[in-house]
This record gives sequence, structure tokens and C-alpha cells, in this order.
Amino acid sequence: MPTATKDAAKNTAPPNTAATGLALFRSLTEIRLLEKRAYDLFLQNLVKGTSHLSLGQEAVAAGFAVAMRRDDYTFCTYRGHAHTLARGAPMVGILGELMGRKCGLMGGKGGSMHLTSVPHGAMGSYAIVGAHLPVAAGAAWSAQVRGSGQVAVCFFGDGATNIGAFHEALNFAVVWKLPVIFVCENNQYMEYTPIRSVTAVEHPAADRASAYGLERIVVDGNDADAVHGAAVAAIGKARGGGGPSLIEAMTYRYSGHSRADPAKYRPAGELEEWMKRDPIALYRARLLELGTPEGALREIESAVQRAVDEATEAAKESPPSPLDVIERDVWADGGSSWRN
Amino acid sequence: MDVVMPQLGETVKEGTVTAWHKKVGERVEANEPLFEVNTDKVETEVPAPVSGVVAAILVAEGSTVQVGATLAVIEEEGKPRAAPASDAPLSPVVRRLLAEHGLDASAITGTGSGGRITRDDVLAHLERRKSAAPAQAPGGGDTRVALSKIRKRTAEQMALSWRTIPHVLQAVEVDFHAVDQARLPHALTYLPFVAFAVCRALPEFPALNASLDGDVLVLHRRINLGIAVDLGGEGLIVPVVKDAGEKSLTDLARAIHSVSEKARSGRLAPDDVTEATYTVSNSGSFGTLLTAPIINPPQVAILSTDGVMQKPVARGETVAIHPVGVLAQSFDHRALDGASSAAYLRKLKQILEERDWAADLRGF
Amino acid sequence: MAELTYRDAVAAGIAQEMERDQRVVFLGEDVAAAGGVFKTTVGLLERFGPGRVRDTPISEQAIIGAAMGAAMTGLRPIAEIMFSDFLAVCWDMIANEIAKARYMSAGQMTLPLVIRTANGSGARFGAQHSQSVENWAMSVPGLKVVAPSTPADVKGLLAAAVRDPDPVVFFEHKGLYATKGQVPDGEHVDRLGTAKVLRDGGDVTVVALAAMVPRALEAAERLQREHGISATVVDVRSLVPLDTRTILAETVKTGRLYTVEENPRLCGWGAEIASIAAEECFYDLDGPIVRITTPHVPLPAADALEDGAVPSVARIVETIRRTAG
Repeated sequence: MPTATKDAAKNTAPPNTAATGLALFRSLTEIRLLEKRAYDLFLQNLVKGTSHLSLGQEAVAAGFAVAMRRDDYTFCTYRGHAHTLARGAPMVGILGELMGRKCGLMGGKGGSMHLTSVPHGAMGSYAIVGAHLPVAAGAAWSAQVRGSGQVAVCFFGDGATNIGAFHEALNFAVVWKLPVIFVCENNQYMEYTPIRSVTAVEHPAADRASAYGLERIVVDGNDADAVHGAAVAAIGKARGGGGPSLIEAMTYRYSGHSRADPAKYRPAGELEEWMKRDPIALYRARLLELGTPEGALREIESAVQRAVDEATEAAKESPPSPLDVIERDVWADGGSSWRN
Repeated sequence: MDVVMPQLGETVKEGTVTAWHKKVGERVEANEPLFEVNTDKVETEVPAPVSGVVAAILVAEGSTVQVGATLAVIEEEGKPRAAPASDAPLSPVVRRLLAEHGLDASAITGTGSGGRITRDDVLAHLERRKSAAPAQAPGGGDTRVALSKIRKRTAEQMALSWRTIPHVLQAVEVDFHAVDQARLPHALTYLPFVAFAVCRALPEFPALNASLDGDVLVLHRRINLGIAVDLGGEGLIVPVVKDAGEKSLTDLARAIHSVSEKARSGRLAPDDVTEATYTVSNSGSFGTLLTAPIINPPQVAILSTDGVMQKPVARGETVAIHPVGVLAQSFDHRALDGASSAAYLRKLKQILEERDWAADLRGF
Repeated sequence: MAELTYRDAVAAGIAQEMERDQRVVFLGEDVAAAGGVFKTTVGLLERFGPGRVRDTPISEQAIIGAAMGAAMTGLRPIAEIMFSDFLAVCWDMIANEIAKARYMSAGQMTLPLVIRTANGSGARFGAQHSQSVENWAMSVPGLKVVAPSTPADVKGLLAAAVRDPDPVVFFEHKGLYATKGQVPDGEHVDRLGTAKVLRDGGDVTVVALAAMVPRALEAAERLQREHGISATVVDVRSLVPLDTRTILAETVKTGRLYTVEENPRLCGWGAEIASIAAEECFYDLDGPIVRITTPHVPLPAADALEDGAVPSVARIVETIRRTAG
């Protein structure tokens, strides 16, 4: 077993309720099948530019999404399809955005790296490493000022723990006691480089927690229940006025950093080892073990597959974004004029 | 500077350019013969008024033009024509305005740095052109002609004089027989003789060679004789022969000719039109009987000479045909009365009719 | 009307808006307890309390990021960046995040925030604390940019900026903080995107911003008195949105355009205005458009050097006199 999960085992939460279990399974399945479809569409050249897939990392997004309130805020990175979908954003909108279609979540204006669905609390996917951590703190500050009880959850990768904005945001959030949860998805690699080789400490997020007066929390990022449990605890703490948390979730990405990356920098056998702990397979097995009927699981799987297929067709049928959106929505009035 | 058709005689109204001695682009020195003019009396070689290069010849050989018309242009050294130098570029707005109004840059005077034509220069030119151009009143067929600067000035002065000075007109008839005897052999006009007589008479009537300054009458020691010159429809100007009283007849004749020429060719200096103490206005060439001239303040009088015609006059018991003309003086009734004005006019008449003019012309 | 200093007008403007709208909050370094290093925010903590007026650590990215997060979730934050030079420290937040969030989300997000900062030279603080960087902000699509020259404009334009639904970078000039001016009593709200013609003249049009405005006015007086050159002076006030209509009309009126800019030469704000005028008023120009700027160097610290670099009244007068013919 990869060494990273030794700590994680300590934080495994007790099993969830059946409903929660099914919700987690559904979310995991949706993310997995959608990301696989995105991969296929990329190979078909229907998705242009680049795409950063969460294959293998599904449990982090799913675990938190199920634990959150509908009106809570999430902020994620350019590897954000999973998180945006997990908050409830429509599949056709996500696939449409990837393919630059009118039906895209942002009409093709943002693209894969910037998926946003404000009605679902998905307050943006951010392509500058670490930039959204302070923004998440700001959303949390807003909730604090308004006394709404909302929290902000901020997902970022191991690479972000070495950038200035990470440190500023952590310190800031602690000093102002903001209701924000910082979640580091440690997938072992900062783009093409092993995170260990560029970080002063072993656990890039958890080992920095004490510098900000925070508790050291490491979870098994491939265990949806473990993630969910940590999420519930941290969200509860924040919502109750207890301030921020920093959680490091150990996980692994199956594909390269992006589509351009065949990930030849991985040592032989590493991928195969992690795939033995595939989050979906793991959770499926656990649910069956706990007595969930196979039929229920299959029903979810086929329903999700159907939904992905329908969304794919609908997105393909949607026309390309019209050119007239180019000069729209710089300003709140819908325009882009800088002069009279 | 513009070269104009000179008035080569009292009664001359026009002339024919018979020959040009220079071509466009040729250099000419001041006083060098520039062209020849034939008037109904005289064939004259006319010298260039200044040195420079002949920039333009506007009237071809054989053309007849009015006195005062511009015949040619001489570009003097150090005083280039106000056309843009080839290296002073036209700004975008200037180019546009020129194109919109069909103007040539050479028609505009440039006042910008280095003689550049500015936007305001073009706009000013358009304004002037608009005010100079006759405009058609809608449906009336009338023509509106804006007054020239000189005319406007003349108009202002005339109005002022008329408004403020109580004019009285007196006249005498003069037999110019004796003057004719003297002047004809020398091709002189009547004007120098009248002027000379004025200069001999004025010392006996100092109140006429005077200026009214409020309620003080300033009697002038010098006689600075203003000679009214008609600028061919453009207005009047009065160049001054200074110390006319000290000149011989021949000198006076030359001086009058000189200032008149300068006046017509636009070469008068400011000094040439100031300090007149008495004015003579010569309307003789118009062929009129009598003119009531308007006094030039602060002077107190002005003399008009009109047409001289052959008329029957009494000579003892017989009738002779003699040249007769009217001298009329307008005087300022605030400064003097009819008696002294009349006595002065009688003196003029006496001088003109009885002086031994031949003696004055000996050696001419 | 009351006479206020430029710095007092800042506090008055913030207070006016915080009083009017509970959603307006304010954060920055030393802004609350200390009333601001330039004493521009004195009294706000006392009046509105620590829930809405907050001191931050020295964390420009966190300050601006927090403003962004708060703005997208229902608040109307004002964030202070102490010196405009420090905008570079959080430029990602401003140029990559705030400026683009609405566009990339196709209008899902609206960011009604104001970043106010002390800009400009004159305090002898040296190259990293004296820059004029309003042209940096002007060049990024998605940011509104304002730079007032008088106390009345400070209060009125700050109020307008707070009420604007879009991100506004509000450049106060540190060299003007002590200047005084008449400010209307009661609620005072100006309009972004409007320039002001402060002086009317027929020979040349001089367009200036912030601390260069009083210098342009003084130069105009001298040009009239000593050289008979009559200048129109326009205070741009707002770079984005830009009141091109006023600027171009005043340019056409005289046919001669000058800009007076404190920023270093290349890509200064006046270059854009010159370009617009050259393109749209070409056939009304009676001479070249001339920009009077600081040379393209970092600002030196010594007083004589700083004064020699930034456009002075004498340099403005001489440049116009020499080229206006």
C-alpha cells in the first residue's frame, strides 16, 4: 500500500447512513463517467484546448459535496469538472462548455479550466495556482459579516501549497477566524514533478497546518466515507464559528497532468498500485458489503450512463457559441464599452 | 509688392501697357524701367518701385487698364510673398479646408511659426472672402458689396467731419488763361499752380492754415499741403507735401507728382499722410463745375478745384474764349467767418490770373 | 459647501457610502485602528465598528482576494492597497481574477468592489513608492479606472465607484492629500466616465490627470499672461470609462492637443488618447499631438531629481510655447 495512506487510516470515519452512501456512490459514478466521456471527446477532437481530468480523485469532490449545504460555496482549480458537477451543475452545461458550445455553462467564454455555476454555489474554477484561496476566504468573510451560516470550501492541489497566496490565505483566514475549509488534494505530483522533491516537508499541506495554528489533518482521499467524515467535521466547526480547517486528502490521478501529458515521469507500477484502491471500486464494494442491493447500484450506474449519453448528444447538437458574445459581459450592464 | 497703373496726368483715367521690359522670374532693380504705358497724352517708361524678382505679370502687352489697377507683383528680398515655403507642410485641418473650399495654399497668408499656414489663417481668409464677395439677396437681384478697409476708414472720417464741423461753402471763378500760357509748354497740369497760389495766399490768412483744438485755434507756422488722391474707386487718401510754402513752383510740381504716385502705388509711409495743415482736393479730371469738399479735421478748410472749360469771358469791352474753372472752399464756421474766407479766395484768384508765371518756370 | 482636504474627502466618501449601504465593508493595512498611513480613513472604525472596518496583515493577495470573494457573494467591499506600487504584488488578483471573473463566467458573477490606493510622486519616497500606475490598470479589460484631482471629485467619484456594480481601481494621489477644496454638503455622488473642462481657451487643448491637473491650470495662466496663448484644460478624471466625447470635442475646438502625464512615457494613458485623437480627429488637427510626460525611467529619490523628472509647470509652459505655432 502506498505509504501516504498510513496516516489516512487513522482518520477513517464510521460508515454513513444508507442514503448518504447512495448519494456518495451516485456522485462518484457521475464524476467517473463524465470524466471518461470528456476524455473520449478530447480524443475525438471535440474538446479543444486542454483538459485536466479528475479520474482517480473522485472521492474528494464527492465526499465534500454530499456534506455541504446547498448554499455553501465551493472554489476549485482548473481540474474542476468533478467539483462543479458534484455541486449539481448540469452535465450538458459542462460538456457543452468543454466543446465551446452555446449550451456551455458559460457559453464557451470560460472553457474547461474555469467552470462556474453560481446558482449551485460553484464559485469558479481557477487556473492561476493558489489564486482562489484568498477568494474563498473572502466568500467566507462575506458569510461571517452577513451572519448567514454559509461556509466556503476551497479545493487545491499539492503544488499550490508552495505559492504565496496559499500562505497569505491561511494566515488571513485563521486571524479573522473565517468559515473556510481548505482542502488539499495531494495527488503526489505538482504538474510533472513529484511534490516531495520541491517541498520542504513531507505532507505539503498538513505539515504546514501548525504554522497557522491549525490541526494537522490527513485523510485517505480515495475513501469517500473518510473524506465525507472529515468534511462533516470541518464544515460543522466552521459553521459553528470555530474558524478554518486545513485538510490534506491523499489521492492519485490516473491520467497525466493534462491531456498533453502522457505522465512518463511516474515510476513503473505506481499507477497500478493506486488503481487497486480505485475510489469507485472501493466504495462499490463497501456498499455491497454493508448490504446495499447490487440492483440499486446498477440502477444508479445505468441511469448515470444514460444521463451522460443524453448530455453528450445534447451538447453535440448545440451550436458553437455565437460571435456576438465576444464583446458581452465585461461589465455588469452586459457590455464591454470603455468609452463614449 | 504690387505694381499699379500710375496716373500720368491730371485727366488720365486709364493707360495701355505697351511693353514689358522684364519677364516673370527676372530680377529688376528699383527705378530700372519695368514697363511702358501709353495714355491719351503721353508715352511713358515706368520704373520698378522696388528691387526684387518679378513674381507675376497680370496684364498683357496691349491691355488697357484703369489707373490704380495692379499690373504686376515684385517679390522683394527678405520679404517673401506670403505663400508657404515648400518645406512648411500643411496640417491636416488646413488641407481639408483648402480642399473643401477649393482654395490654393498660395492664396493664403501664413502667420504660424516659420510662415506656416494655420487653421485660423484659412478661416480668416474665408471670412474676408465672404465679406468681400457680393452676395445675392434672395429674389431681389440686388448686390451687396462689402466696403474695403480704405473705403471704411474714409467713410468714418467723412461722417465724423460732417457731424462735427459746420461747413460753409464759398466759390470763385478763375480765368486760367495766364496759367495756361505758362503750363502748356511744360505739360504741367493746373494743380501745381493752384497749390502754389494757395501757398502764397495762406500766409496772409493764417486762420485758414490752422487746426481747431477744442476752443483753441492753432495757427500753423508750416504749410503742409494735403493733396487729396482718388484711389480709383477704393476711396480717398491725402498724402502731404511738407513745407509746401517754401517750394518753388517746379519743386512743388515735382513734390505733388511724387506723393500722388506713391499714393497710387501704395508706397506711402505713415509720415506721408500726417500733419497736413490745409488740403487741396483736385476734382478737375471729373469735369464737374463745383464740388463742396468735406474738411479733414482738425484742419479748418479745404479747397476744391473742378473742371477747367473754355468759356466766353469779358475782356474790357470784348469777349474772349478763356479756360475758366471754379475754386470752392469749404471752411469751418467755428474757426472763421465768410469775410476772411472770401478775401482769401479773391487773393487766390488774383494770384492765378495775374502772376508772372513765366518767371517761376524759368529754368524748368 | 465645506472646505475639506483631499484626504478628509476620502474618509467622507467612504463614510457616506457605508452609512447608506450596510453591505459596504472596508479592509486594508493599518486602515482601521490607525486611520490609515496617510490618515485617509480616520474615524471609520469608531463609526462603523470592527465587523465592517478591518485591519489586515501585510498580505496584498489575501486582501484583494478577500475583496473579490466578498464581492461575489453579496458584499460591496472597499479594499485599500497602501501604495499603488504594491498593486504589482497582487496583480494576479486584479488583472487575472477580478478583471476577468464576470467575462469568463458569462455574467454569472458580478464584482462590485473598489480598490483604492495612493498613487504618484512628490513625497520623495523613491522609485518603489512613487509610481503612477493608472496606465497599468487602464490596459486590462474589465477594470474601471478613476483618478480624481480635487477633494470634491474624491468624494463624489469614490461614492460613484462604490455604487458601480463593476470593479473600480481608485487612484488617489498622495501628493494631493493635503490640498484643500470646496466639497458639496450632504450626499455627493459624481459620475464615472465624465471628464471636466476646467478652463476654456481657443489656441490649445491640454488634457491632464490627478496631480498634473493643477500644474496644467497654472501653466495655462502663464501661457496666457506671458505668451498670449489661450489654453483649454481638461481634467480626464476617469480613464475607464473614458469621456472621449468631451476630450475630442475640445481637441477639435482648438485643433491642438497636449497631454500632461505623470506616468513614465511608454504606454502612458495619454498615448491612448493621442492615438484616438489622431485617428478620429485627424482632419481637424492643426499640428502634431504632443505628450508631456515623465521620461521613461524609474523615479529618482532626491527632491531635485524627482521634481526634475515629473512634468513641471515650467516644462509644460515651455513645451506648449515652443510647439503651438
